[in-house]
Order: sequence, then C-alpha cells, then structure tokens
Amino acid sequence: MVDRIDEAWIARGVRRAPFSRFLLWAAPWAALLLLGAYAIFLCLRDGLFHTNMDNRYVFGLWIFLDLTVIALGAGAFFTGFLLYVLRKTELKAVINSAVVIGLVCYSGAVLILAVDVGQPLRAWFTFYHPNVHSMLTEVTFCITCYLTVLLIEYVPVFLKNRRLKWKPSMLVFEYHLHKVMVVFALIGTLLSFFHQGSLGGLFGVLRGRPFAFREGLLIWPSTFFLFVLSAMAVGPSFVALTTGLAEKITGRRLVKNEVYQTLGRISGKLLLAYVFFKCLDTLLWINQTAPERGFPAHRFYEYGGAFGTWILFAEIALLGLVPALILLKPEWRARRGLLLGAAAMACLGVTLNRFVFTIQTLALPTMPFDRLLLYWPSWQEFAAFGFVVAYGMLVYSFSYRYLTLFPQERELAMTEARR
Amino acid sequence: MFPWVYGFEWNAGYLIFLGVFFTVALVVAGTVLAALWRSFRTVRKKQEGRVYWHTAFEELTPEERRCRHAITGELPERCCDREFDCRGCRIHARLLYSDEAAAHAAGSGQAEACGVAVPLDRYYHRGHTWVREAEDGTLLVGLDDLGRRLLGADGTVETPPAGAELRVNEPAFVARRNGVEARILSPVDGTVLGPASDGEALVRVRPAEDFRTTHLLRGGEAVAWMRHELDRLQVALAASCGAASLADGGAVAEDLGRRLTAREFDTACGLAFLDV
Repeated sequence: MVDRIDEAWIARGVRRAPFSRFLLWAAPWAALLLLGAYAIFLCLRDGLFHTNMDNRYVFGLWIFLDLTVIALGAGAFFTGFLLYVLRKTELKAVINSAVVIGLVCYSGAVLILAVDVGQPLRAWFTFYHPNVHSMLTEVTFCITCYLTVLLIEYVPVFLKNRRLKWKPSMLVFEYHLHKVMVVFALIGTLLSFFHQGSLGGLFGVLRGRPFAFREGLLIWPSTFFLFVLSAMAVGPSFVALTTGLAEKITGRRLVKNEVYQTLGRISGKLLLAYVFFKCLDTLLWINQTAPERGFPAHRFYEYGGAFGTWILFAEIALLGLVPALILLKPEWRARRGLLLGAAAMACLGVTLNRFVFTIQTLALPTMPFDRLLLYWPSWQEFAAFGFVVAYGMLVYSFSYRYLTLFPQERELAMTEARR
Repeated sequence: MFPWVYGFEWNAGYLIFLGVFFTVALVVAGTVLAALWRSFRTVRKKQEGRVYWHTAFEELTPEERRCRHAITGELPERCCDREFDCRGCRIHARLLYSDEAAAHAAGSGQAEACGVAVPLDRYYHRGHTWVREAEDGTLLVGLDDLGRRLLGADGTVETPPAGAELRVNEPAFVARRNGVEARILSPVDGTVLGPASDGEALVRVRPAEDFRTTHLLRGGEAVAWMRHELDRLQVALAASCGAASLADGGAVAEDLGRRLTAREFDTACGLAFLDV
C-alpha cells in the first residue's frame, strides 16, 4: 500500500529504489538532523557558551561552513547564468540539480548564521538598522534576497512533480514562472556576485589582521574579486561532483557525458584564471602588503603544523593548479574518474581557502604578546554542522526521488535498455 | 523615501545600497506577480490544456519526439519541433504530396503490427486515439487497439460531457485502472456531442469549422508508427521496470494491462498516452 502511494509520486519512466530501502538511506541522516536540531535548540535557548568560540575566536566552524557552502552553492547561480544568459543549453540537464544544491547551501548557510547571530526574533533588525558601510550588511541583504530567488527557482522544479502536475493551476503557474526564469537567473547572478565578493571583502578589510588584509580596487580589497572568481570556478565542479556521486549512489546514468565535459571545461578555465590572480595577489601580499603592516609573510607560517607553508602550496598548486590542468586537457577530462577527482580537488581547494581565511586568520597572533590560538569546536558546533549536512542530504534525496532533477535520466535509461 | 529604515540619511551610501536592494526586491516581487497574473489569465481563458501539452512535450525524449516522417524513413533522425501538430509544418506540407508519402498513406482494410490491429479506415493520433468520419459528417473518436489492450477489461475511460470543447493535443479523456490514471489527448478540434453508440468509439464529436486531418497518421504510416510504438514501449518498460521484451514474432496480449505489474502498467500507460 505504502509502495503504491510512493510510486504515484515518482515520475513515470524512471527507476527508483523501493521505499523501504529509501527509508533506510534516509534514517541515519534523519538521526543526525535530530541531533543537530537539539544542539541548535541549546544554542538558541542558552546562547553561544555552548560553543568554543569566544571574544577572540569569533569565527569558528560555523562561519567556515557558511563560507564553504556558499562558495560551493555558487554552482546554482553560475549554471543558471550559463544556461539562461549565455545559452549553454546542454546545462539544462543539470540546472534543476544545481538549483536544489544552491537552495540547500544557501538555506543551510542562513540557518547556521541565524544560530550564530542568535536572537532570531530580532533578525529583522538587520534590515531596519542597516549599516550601509558594513560588508556584513551587504552579505545579509544579498543572502536573504538570493535565498528568496532560489526558493522561487525551486518552485517550478517542485511543481513538476507528477501528482502536482495534475492540478492545472499549478502546472500553469510552473509554466509561466519558468518563462521568466531568465530574470531570476540575472538577479541571482547579481546578488551572488556581490555577496560572494562581500564575504571575501569582509576579510580583506581587516586592517588589524595583516594575514587577511589585502590592497584592492577602490573600496574593494582583492579578496572581494578572488572570492567571486573562486566560487564561479568551483561551482560547476561541485555540480559535476554531486551529479557523479548521485550516479554512483543510485547506479544510474543521469546526464550525458557532454554535460560533464562542459562543466569541467568551464571550471578548468576559471580555475586557471583564479590560480593566476591568486598567485599575483599572494606575491603582492608577501612583498608589499604584509611587510608594510610590520609582518614579513614568513612569520605567519613559522608555527608549522596545521598552519605551515604547506597550506599555501596545497591551496594554490595542489588543489588549484593541478585540477585546473586536468580539467583543461580534453584527454584527461574525458576520463570520468579523473574529471570527478579534479572536481573534488577544486572543491577541496576552495574549502581550504575559506578555512585559511576564517580559522587561520583568527588563530595567528597580531600583537607581540599574543600567542597562536588554537580552537576546537564543541560537540554542539559539530552537531549543528551535521544538521546542515543532513538537511542537505535529505532535501537532495527527496528531490531526486520525487522530482525531475535530471531530465536526461529517462532518455539514458532507454538508450541503455536498447543496448 | 525609505521611511521604514531606521536612521536613514540622504547620502550616497544609503541611497546606492538601499536603492539597489529595493530595486532587486521590487523586480523579484514584480516578476512573480507577473507570472501569477499570466497564470490567472491562462486559467480564465481555459488554456490549461495547451500549457499541459507544451510542458509534456518538452519532457519527451528525442526518441519519443521523432517526426512521423522519421518513423517512415523519409527523414531519418528528424525530431518534431511542433509538438506533434503538423498542420503548420512546412516540411510535412512538402512531403504530404510526395510519392513516398502517398505510398504510406494508401491502403484500406485492416493491417496489424505484432498482433495489434490497425484498421486503415481511420486517422490515428500519436497519443493512441483514432478519428473516423461518420456518414452524418460528425467524427467518431476512440482508443486504438494498443490503448484498448493496455487498459484491458478492468480499465475505464472517463469521457468529457456533451458540449465540452476538444482541442488537438489537449487532454480530453482520463484512463483509469487499478488506481493508475493517465490523461489521453484529443486528436481533433470540435465539440463533444455525446457518447458514441457504435461500441468501438468513445465519443461523437462535431468537428470545428477549420477541421483538418493533416496532423493525423493514416494508412501505411500508421502501421509503421504502431510498430515503432511497440518497440518504444518495450524499451521503456525494460528501462524503468526491467520488464522482459517481446520475443521476435510474438504478439501483444489481448488484455495486456492485466499481465503487467502495477508499476509496469503505470509506465506503459504514461508512455503510450504521452502523459509522462
């Protein structure tokens, strides 16, 4: 009986695991979600003393997570831009998936920010008392607007569910909303561009923290542009990686190879551009910015361990240049394992970059009497982090099961059956 | 201006930042409202059927969108880009009078494809309905043999009431069997006069003034299409349900629906009636 009801919601012509197996898959994520919800409840009820952050270490695991998921979620705006504005029509095969990824990433980020900021009942203050000179205000406004845009972009995907399509009014609304999607793609691009930049700018303007401080153009430090470029570079990689993982987990082909090739090629080009500008920025920082602030750059890395020079090499060369070269060479890109490996490396690279700016920046001493400050998140911080991961997995899993995330799936299944 | 922003000042910072923000918010809200308004107008004009078929056609695979002239081999690999409405298609108009097309269209009596009857006295729609002109000038509309076998003895077809307007490629009937539902598209423009009495057709329809049959299949073309459909159905069932294929020379069972599992039946119904 349950299976019959479940099947009535699944699109025709595609295979899905039995409902019982799907529940088995969802159960651990649901458990993690509950644990995370409890941790979030504790933090909202009692305050941030449940975390290991303090007045010195104000950015911890959560902000690192925010910056990372927002960078990875850039695949949503950038894929939308490539499809609706630049007319890369082959990306139609992954746009729905990219929208879900974007929605999960941004809503997860907003949620965790709400816990971090606390006092959710006063969330509206940020709109009523905006400090227009603050990068954080720009981030708040852009992230709120873009989350709204992503929700609107998700509506047509949701309304295309098989049962919902039977309601003519819903189908008609989906159709008309889809027709104006280019407007949302453009707005999404504008918003995402600015807030990715503002997140980078947030660190670049920290004059008291020479490790993060950067020169720039007009009011924008170089980190503003580097954050935008890195997000654009890894966005397509993350879309390719999630699609590859979905194919692996479900055991089905979901998109044609040309889609992977397009995503890989675009990601490779942008990643190479990013590595180039990142090198320039780093050289400028080593030779000019940091010494002018009284800190020779090598001082930042003399603590070794987690914050040694290896981190700079890993970020730029190992997880930047290497994947860029793999993604750019057609013969290497044509091998699915290499392509997805390079995509994973690119995503790790941007994760490491956000780790450096969030965690390493705050760990390094800025005064002669300061010492290196080490921070390890509390279980509540890990659990809240787990909440976002579990929430993302569940939303994506349900969307994959009941919505059409990959329109080419049916065609590919038929092609395989014909063989 | 911006009276709701606490501490607002008339300086460039506030004007640029809040100006951009409120412009974005207005554009987003305006676009959603425009989509809502268009939806309201579409529903009021009763054009939901057209929208339904437009979106359903978009979801068909290239194989399912194959042009009728690709199925007959005249234009191999060609996909339809007119949502199976050949009435305005220039390529179809050009081919309609070719020798090859004439050879496909010719025929009378009864043909068959893997045991599925294809009477040649009628026109066929890609959604497995047929149209036949009655002597009194009205049209008889029914399910073709594959559609009939698929629904089987337990299946029912909900027909529109007398007076209902039918439009080509818009949902007209609803097929039901064991809780599975599928929309069936109308093959003609016209007004339903009531249920047909000949036992074969579903409804009798008064054709619209500009009624034409150029979008419908007939003769040898319909037989080629039926073979293609059986092949497509088998492949789709194998792809989505792992169902076994028809053996070479085998025939489609009379009560096909009963022999399929619920999931197979659901898939087959959706694919046959183009309700994916």
